[in-house]
Amino acid sequence: MDISRRSFLKATGLSGLGLALSSLGLNLPTVKAEIKKEFKLTGAKEFTTTCHFCACGCGQIGYVKEGKLINLEGAVDSPVNRGALCPKGQGYSHIPNSEERAKVPLYRAPGSDHWEEISWDEAIERAAKAIKKARDENWIASEEIDGQQVQVNRTDAFGVIGGSQINNEECYQLVKMFRALGGMYVDNQTRVCHANTPPALNAAFGRGAMTNQWYDLKNTKLVWIEGSNMAECHPIGMKHVMKAKDKGAKIIHVDVRYTRTSKIADYFIQIRPGTDIAFLGAIINYVIQNKKYNEPYLRRHTNAYCLINPNFGFDDGIFSGYNPDKRSYDMTTWMYQVDENGKPMKAAELEAPNTVFSLLKQHYSRYTPEKVSEITGASPSKIQFAAELFANTEPTVFMYALGLTQHTIGVENIRCYTILQLLKGNIGVPGGGIDAMRGQPNVQASTDYGLMFQYFPGYLAWPTQNTNTLEKWTNASGTFRAKFLKNLMKAWYGDAATPENDYAFNFLPIRNTHNNYSIYCQFEAALKGIMKCMFVCGQNPQVSNPNLGMVHRGLCKLDTLIVEDPYVNETAEFWNRPDNPEGSEPRPPSEIKTEVIFMPACSYLERCGTMSNSMRMIQWRMAGPDPVGDSKPDYEILDMLWKKIRELYASSTDPKDNPIKALTWNYRTGPDMVIDLMKEVNGYDLTTGHLLNGIGEIKDDGTTNSGMWIYAGVIRDGEVHMAKRRGQEDEGDMGVFPNYGWVWPDNIHLLYNRASCDENGQPTDPNRKLVWWDAAAGQWTGYDRPDVGSLTAGPDTPAGQKPFRMTGEGIGRLFAAKYSDVENGQTRDASSTPVDGPMPEFYEPVESPTKNALHENPNAQFSPCVIYPRMPDLQKIGTKDEFPYVMSSSSLTEHWCSGTITRHIPWLNELVKEPFIEMPHKLADKLGVKSGDKVKVRSTRAEITVKAMVTNRIQPLRINGEETFVTWMPYNWGFKGLSTGPSGNYITIDALDPNAQSQEFKACLIDIKKA
Amino acid sequence: MAREMAMLHDVSRCSACRACMVACKQWHDLPADFSTPFEGQYQSHADLTSKTINLIKMNERIDADGKFHWDFIKFQCMHCVNPGCAKGCPKNAIAQLDSGAVVVDEDKCVGCGYCTINCPFNVPRVDPDRNKSTKCDLCFDRIEQGMVPACAKTCTAQAIEFGTIEEMRELAHKRLEVVKKDFPNAMLYGVEPNGVGGTHMMYILTEKPEVYGLPADPKTPDSVNLFKDIIRPIGHIAGVGAVAGLAGVFVLSKMFGKKGGD
Repeated sequence: MDISRRSFLKATGLSGLGLALSSLGLNLPTVKAEIKKEFKLTGAKEFTTTCHFCACGCGQIGYVKEGKLINLEGAVDSPVNRGALCPKGQGYSHIPNSEERAKVPLYRAPGSDHWEEISWDEAIERAAKAIKKARDENWIASEEIDGQQVQVNRTDAFGVIGGSQINNEECYQLVKMFRALGGMYVDNQTRVCHANTPPALNAAFGRGAMTNQWYDLKNTKLVWIEGSNMAECHPIGMKHVMKAKDKGAKIIHVDVRYTRTSKIADYFIQIRPGTDIAFLGAIINYVIQNKKYNEPYLRRHTNAYCLINPNFGFDDGIFSGYNPDKRSYDMTTWMYQVDENGKPMKAAELEAPNTVFSLLKQHYSRYTPEKVSEITGASPSKIQFAAELFANTEPTVFMYALGLTQHTIGVENIRCYTILQLLKGNIGVPGGGIDAMRGQPNVQASTDYGLMFQYFPGYLAWPTQNTNTLEKWTNASGTFRAKFLKNLMKAWYGDAATPENDYAFNFLPIRNTHNNYSIYCQFEAALKGIMKCMFVCGQNPQVSNPNLGMVHRGLCKLDTLIVEDPYVNETAEFWNRPDNPEGSEPRPPSEIKTEVIFMPACSYLERCGTMSNSMRMIQWRMAGPDPVGDSKPDYEILDMLWKKIRELYASSTDPKDNPIKALTWNYRTGPDMVIDLMKEVNGYDLTTGHLLNGIGEIKDDGTTNSGMWIYAGVIRDGEVHMAKRRGQEDEGDMGVFPNYGWVWPDNIHLLYNRASCDENGQPTDPNRKLVWWDAAAGQWTGYDRPDVGSLTAGPDTPAGQKPFRMTGEGIGRLFAAKYSDVENGQTRDASSTPVDGPMPEFYEPVESPTKNALHENPNAQFSPCVIYPRMPDLQKIGTKDEFPYVMSSSSLTEHWCSGTITRHIPWLNELVKEPFIEMPHKLADKLGVKSGDKVKVRSTRAEITVKAMVTNRIQPLRINGEETFVTWMPYNWGFKGLSTGPSGNYITIDALDPNAQSQEFKACLIDIKKA
Repeated sequence: MAREMAMLHDVSRCSACRACMVACKQWHDLPADFSTPFEGQYQSHADLTSKTINLIKMNERIDADGKFHWDFIKFQCMHCVNPGCAKGCPKNAIAQLDSGAVVVDEDKCVGCGYCTINCPFNVPRVDPDRNKSTKCDLCFDRIEQGMVPACAKTCTAQAIEFGTIEEMRELAHKRLEVVKKDFPNAMLYGVEPNGVGGTHMMYILTEKPEVYGLPADPKTPDSVNLFKDIIRPIGHIAGVGAVAGLAGVFVLSKMFGKKGGD
């Protein structure tokens, strides 16, 4: 180190932080300049944090002088980004200095046309009272469900939206307080983005998360990007792809248009929006027909040899068990043939009748290149090329994001990937995997923490009328998961939760399975007069939801809207909407009687806490600059709000209020609160007071607690926070970095890594060795933590032969059979089966330009399980005669989600200034439109005017013999912020996937006219 | 000992994420600049401006075989080995540092604009508000502290590399071999000495330079060499008036011609 580097470190106080030199990129010879310029960072104080846009989770170093942020850049010691940041992550440095930030709490009275500044005390009191009023006046103690009177302890009048933008500790506060209030309408951006991912991946592997870590990408030989514009939407993920490319890997991009991702890919194939199952079905067919599958892997690690009920069938687009009136399936025939112990029976031959493999073979034999070409628009030769590329390259990694999820067949889209990867033996191995790239900074955790109506924290099913006692719940979810539920209830209710009272199970609100509690239906509930008060935290549904007219109408019907955000966004100010894309004049504020309470939140740079990125890595964020104005950290706001609510109920003797009074809430104040919250999430040994060191220490007898079992081990005694670790070790050079941050569960980076070993626990590919059984030591070991239930359960034990230990069967599921694993007469664990089929089948989008080429059955034109419209007066299905063009929609590099943040960053606004619609030249010629001309874009829902971008990057397609035009529009605009413009989501459709209720952003029908 | 540094942009890797543009503005405290309206194009600015000293150019192209290409290139000061701007500066306000960075000294710059005219790449822009010439300074202040320039550090695709000139030359040749497999016309630009002596901003291009708007054979104007080596020394003796008079012979006419076209 020479003098200038030493003086630099001293000047910036770096030595105090104890970071590696490389964290600042100090790896160059220094060069003395003759020109004098004061070095910008001299005298600045550093802090480290993680970025707040997509879920890459890039490390950042910020620099503060006199409480102000003066510089922000990528942390070189983060193995995620090694110093790089995308333009959004780089541009966020503007936000702590943004003039437009909300500085004080605001109130908009019913019918008012302006905001009034109010005190924090008033804001909290108004919010707490509004929540209490909605709850108390609309309490449902019991209701009739399926002819039975059921105690439900619930309110449907208060809803929560948010979680993906707040830290882990705040997610935990939010879910805990909301559920104690008896709420069921809880949802967050994960519904709009990746809700379809957990059911799809879970159905195959037992967990719902991205399988491999970012750093593992360097080990792959083929990067298959379909359903993602990765270079634009996960730019730092792309940095790892480029590393693979440097080592000889090929990149193929399959998408609805040529993007910046296609530009750096080796191959690009354009397909029509919504036809991924057809395209991937052709690849499955090729792999099976040409025997390109990995037979030993299928035998050892999957259910390929398992026998399915001989009554299982599939006819003209419909699986056996379909009820057309309910548009749902009875799954009885989707089960295994089982032995006397209830375990699945296996055939000796892979292609014996009724094996999973033979069913797959038969099912996908219809997906020929010619047929699939008619559906997708890709030529048969390109389909053949892609199939050969996949079949002959090992290993392959699949990268996807919302291009697969945001469809009414989103879960089944992703299921295609799971089948392909199991066929090739690409799961649990370095360089393989399915990387579900999460798109919000903490959306992995908002899902982990159960800010979704159907889950508790830790992916435990929320009780329904069918599982409304601990016994019934355990029978359905299994004893394995019941243990974790008991620990959660101990964390929430402390001494009030005992083995004798079933851990206060009767405190829990009960979900009615006939109600759809998703984010879209929150607004529909408001329209129906059920929803009265909504709490929106770090989310902006007035831009980011589909069919925005529904959102606006719903907001108009509320009594109270509470918004917590760094900016007064379009949702908070919905009553001031300048125009109405649905046609008529906007309603004047005087006619909108919703009161709005706005609470200014700190940006992430101004507060501490942890976040979980797409690869499940929990990372610590230090606080940097001072909060703007009187804005507060979300954890403080939620703490104030809960304490006020509790105070309002303090004197109540009503039994319905007991959960509120019994809820544990003993946290220190200030930043210590964040530590205490994570300790509760982690869990304690209640007999000793020590923190738990991992999932294995969680007990089933009420002597431990753990707010969320999957995070157990993240914080240790002595406030050793594993999320703060910045270790650079990577023994074996496999891209694991086990000492950097901490990954749930149990710091396992590559999920299912046991599947990289053979029967004897030895790596099947010695060149890609990751974990193995060390017979001499009598334990599993390796460069990553082995993904096994017990490190000492060797390959000679049943537990040592469960590569997919989180499924009921312990093996990977090509066919998602309905199955519960029974042990000692009790359900031990149950596997997950998508409601719309055990194998993916292609269905058209709800709004489609063509007839389904595979089926005649009208119930199988689009998914037979989709129910749309839900409110026929307000939801229409556009048809090709009136709306002849297909539109797809997504984000781009420079703007992100609802644009609340990015449209407040001038450096991003100058790059992409306004919304637009991309269209092929041929369509533009037909419409008489040139690039830059204004066009009217109309769907059956609304009409907006934007400029046209005429491009060769989208080509007209030949679909079922007809020329079909596809267009694309970014959706990130609204009427607030520094860059304003019409919201594309007035155009998009709110038809939902029947499994997890994600909407079909990616395909709808429009008409275009020159404006 | 001071080391000569260089930056290398491999256009085949660039995804035009434009993080480099934001990083540049953030480090240099430059404001957003909306001088180019949106008319259906992705490229943010038609050209460099005094507020936008690093620009990713984006261009759709169909080649002779009918194949589609989307060309991206990072455009900024080339930091010539033989910089016409510095040589032609009447105030001696542009320095070539040991690192190779060619930097405007704002204390000396009077905003005359000679540098713009003398630049074979048409890079420097005079900021009309401050009357100072502006252009990329290769983050010389960061280099001095051993830090990578902001654009290279933030690059998401490792398309922008930075290091000693020897390292960059070696990397350029190594990568060219790889790029040529997909792009047979690929070539290096600025890596070897050329009409400007070579540049410290180097490229791996997938096509000939004209496709990217770069001159095939950039040259430091002969007149600048004349100015630097003969006229300015005389001017410094004779005083500023003499400089203006003599410089006018070859510079002012070009400058006015240029301004008329703006």
